[in-house]
Amino acid sequence: MARKKTKAVRAPGKKAAAARAGAIYSAKGPGKWVGQPIRRKEEDRLVRGKGIYVDDQKMPGMAHIRFVRSPFAHANIRSVDVSRAAEAPGVLCTLTGAEVAGLVQPFIEIGPEAGQKIADYPMAVNKVVYQGEPVAAVVADTRMAAEDAAELVEVDYEPLPPVMTAEDALKDETLVHPAMGTNRNWHGMFEYGDVEKAFRNAAHVVHIGRMHFHRFSSTPLENNGVIALWDSKADRIEFWSNNTFPAFAAQFLSPALGVRIDQIHMKSFDIGGGFGIKITNYPYMALCALASRKLGGKQVKWTETRTEHMLASAHGNERTFYDTKVALDKNGVMTALESRHVDDCGAYPRYEPLGCVIWAQVLPGAYRLRNVRIDMNQIVSNKCPVGPNRGYSRMQQLWFMERVLDICGHALGIATDEMRVRNYIRKSEMPYETPNGCVYDSGDYAGMLALGKKLIGWDAWKKKQAAARQEGRWIGIGIGSTLDSGTNNFGQARIINAGAPFSGQSKAALAKLDIYGEVVVSMGSVPQGQGHETTAAQTVAEVLNIPPDLVKVKPGFDTEQNVYTGHTGTYASQFAVTGLSAINGAAEKLKKEMARLAAWSLKAKEKDLEFGVGEQGPEVRVKGKKGKSINYWALANIVNVNNAEVPEELWDVTLNCRHVYHAPFHVPDLQRKFGNLTLTYAAQIHLAVVEVDRETFQPKILAYACVDDCGRAINPRIVQGQVHGCTAHGIGAALMENCAYDADGNLLASTFSDYTPITAMNMPDLLYGHIESPSPFTFNGAKGMGEGGAAPVHTISAALQDALYANGVIIEESHNNGDSIYRALERARAGEYAAMVRVEHRKAARAR
Amino acid sequence: MEIKFGGDFVVRKTPEQVYEFLVDPNRFCPLLPDYQSKEIVDDKNFVVKLSVGISHIRGTATVKLGLLEANPAKHAMYEGKADVPGGSATLRAGFDLESAAGGTKVVWSGQSNIVGRIASLAGGLLEPLAKKNIQKMIDELQKALA
Repeated sequence: MARKKTKAVRAPGKKAAAARAGAIYSAKGPGKWVGQPIRRKEEDRLVRGKGIYVDDQKMPGMAHIRFVRSPFAHANIRSVDVSRAAEAPGVLCTLTGAEVAGLVQPFIEIGPEAGQKIADYPMAVNKVVYQGEPVAAVVADTRMAAEDAAELVEVDYEPLPPVMTAEDALKDETLVHPAMGTNRNWHGMFEYGDVEKAFRNAAHVVHIGRMHFHRFSSTPLENNGVIALWDSKADRIEFWSNNTFPAFAAQFLSPALGVRIDQIHMKSFDIGGGFGIKITNYPYMALCALASRKLGGKQVKWTETRTEHMLASAHGNERTFYDTKVALDKNGVMTALESRHVDDCGAYPRYEPLGCVIWAQVLPGAYRLRNVRIDMNQIVSNKCPVGPNRGYSRMQQLWFMERVLDICGHALGIATDEMRVRNYIRKSEMPYETPNGCVYDSGDYAGMLALGKKLIGWDAWKKKQAAARQEGRWIGIGIGSTLDSGTNNFGQARIINAGAPFSGQSKAALAKLDIYGEVVVSMGSVPQGQGHETTAAQTVAEVLNIPPDLVKVKPGFDTEQNVYTGHTGTYASQFAVTGLSAINGAAEKLKKEMARLAAWSLKAKEKDLEFGVGEQGPEVRVKGKKGKSINYWALANIVNVNNAEVPEELWDVTLNCRHVYHAPFHVPDLQRKFGNLTLTYAAQIHLAVVEVDRETFQPKILAYACVDDCGRAINPRIVQGQVHGCTAHGIGAALMENCAYDADGNLLASTFSDYTPITAMNMPDLLYGHIESPSPFTFNGAKGMGEGGAAPVHTISAALQDALYANGVIIEESHNNGDSIYRALERARAGEYAAMVRVEHRKAARAR
Repeated sequence: MEIKFGGDFVVRKTPEQVYEFLVDPNRFCPLLPDYQSKEIVDDKNFVVKLSVGISHIRGTATVKLGLLEANPAKHAMYEGKADVPGGSATLRAGFDLESAAGGTKVVWSGQSNIVGRIASLAGGLLEPLAKKNIQKMIDELQKALA
């Protein structure tokens, strides 16, 4: 690793940190509607089966596309013969990679240098680089006809050795993309503070060998789906899809398909979960569009099967951590850390290498660490491309930090709860600027831990654990501290590639008083189960002092109907901040216009007016003067229908108000990789008690508690639901779900039978606690939430570590099941972990 | 996943007779497990249809079989390629013939590579199943050459 001496960095003052983050808001308490646990507006539609998903769209003459997928992870394509398929009953057309390559440009690459040389076509052209990659497509008048005909396509492959591990990729002996000349997609050094000095002064230095964060995915209820219509007469392409970041997808599709971005019409309605991985389904959108064009403008539908989803949609990033070295003072406080990280983005980068900087939003985790040197790398491999899976890139870093802290605690004989309290950033230090310039807005991690310990019954479990150990049982108690950074600054993309045309963050919304006086809101977001309709209605209701039921929030998203920006989408835990800021801004503008109009109509002053609900529905009235009011219908009527008497000074009143929220960001310092990368930092502290069965080695959760702090909760019922969801997702990832491959590149979990996603039957009873540290950087005090930072993965790893440390086991993997725990115990018996973790106690430092 | 296999047996036929049997698709192909039909493309290439299946994954595999190496009375090697439900399989099977007391020693070996979903769905079952089927084929071969 490069040795660079820089000046020691201390945490800057709170004022400087706050100034870097932008506007300061004072904390607000719950309002009449905001902060209340009202039922979700969407629930009635969704639980009664009235939701409208992509696959629900059935139009006469619609064609169906099925893909022929590679069984090989890495192989040259000698030939593709679609002749038999083309003659099959019902078949309308076929597509091959060679044909596709002649019709489109490769998708743009975000990364610089070697990554720019990747030719990412939506279909394999000359060789396949992951199992499940599309090599041909068959379009027919029914899905079954397409499915049957796809089996008639003959592909001749020449198998090549696959690159299946980070270690193999780094050797560059076999290249996934020969044009790159390497498998290394990105590299950057993140160095802050004076690492050398901190190590010189350390009382203890802990060396930790290889650790590995596994691949898992999100497996939303609804798989990917798209209906494309390339209408050459209207010169536009219409996509009805469940892509959750349409503004991003359009920026990839437009140059690839050779059309202007305004020719792309994106829409979605209900989406059955996404969790980030539907962001990268745009290659399939492109293929459906090409098929539609080939058929002269027929609608072409693709609905992904579960096996296709597991094989070839997107997985979460896999990351390996090497040669970690930690400096600690005599009290076990971490003073420096250095490490080398290798992220595996699979066969095509697509959203990557953004993950190579996004982790730095939470560089020190929840800890006061100031001196850090992390050598960050990303490689390509012959695995399914990754997508920004829930907790994207931060959860890997947070798991790493939690493992480091836990291993150090055990190695130094410091209790893991005490170890955390000694290292946590303190409530009094908030807002806190991290070594790389991110500003943690608020939080009380020690307070959350104390609440969690109370919830789970920490002291009682400690006693039970001691008694159980006497009986030879393996019980561990673990803590996971995690951060859910939200509202990202796209300027961080420039740390990856200085030429990347992205920065900042924005969202747009529209609030209007419709022609008959109905309050209608349209959002620049793509909801997929987060309850946006409800929290949007609560926000507008608060502004206008009317019940949320009187606010109509348009579901779904449509680029021809909704207002939006280039950042539009639902990702990065930000709707409560960006989406609601835009909606609040639009509602305030509408309120102002309504007040001006009402003042003219009622012959009153604006300052004397109040908003509320009267006998004739929602109204604006003169305070204290009964009967002097105008309802919303009448106000709308004045503008839209009966406007001849409206004075000229009110002609600008449209009752149709758009607002764009700009998050207060700057472009980071690219040389230093320094700047505020995200606006808010929600936190979750989880605790688990886990027992490992001594006969089967299966881990079982005996108790589980989670404490959430997402700032001001707009709707505590939704927050609690999201925390349950992300906890389930994390427990599944920790104990069950693993996108494992064999050495030949076969995905070993291509069905739910093998992947075993978590179900309600596997969930422990959840003890839930909540505290609120309002964000000073958002108008409503809210922070993003819902991704959850994979807290259970950290927590369960910590609990297993606690259970098995006495047996010599070091938990080095994020996925642990009976089989892997058995192997870990075998390795411990062979003494392998003794070499993996080494502790140096420095005499000189101890003497000082 | 790669499956390797091999073994030997002795039959009371001359190496020439054994070789002729092995390179005659009309006699050799029906010995393949769950044989359905064959189509002879030329003297070295044929297409064989086999019934295959593990658990709920069932169907017909079309195997393109080619006589890759042919050294009369000494050696024959087949290469096969099949698209099976949920994956693809490649196969190489070689036969070395040596004169033995009163007959011929047949030393057989080969390897099969199975890729695709089938390897994930039934990876644990494939190896014993493949070995069982190969043994069945060798038993049939021994019987036919007896």
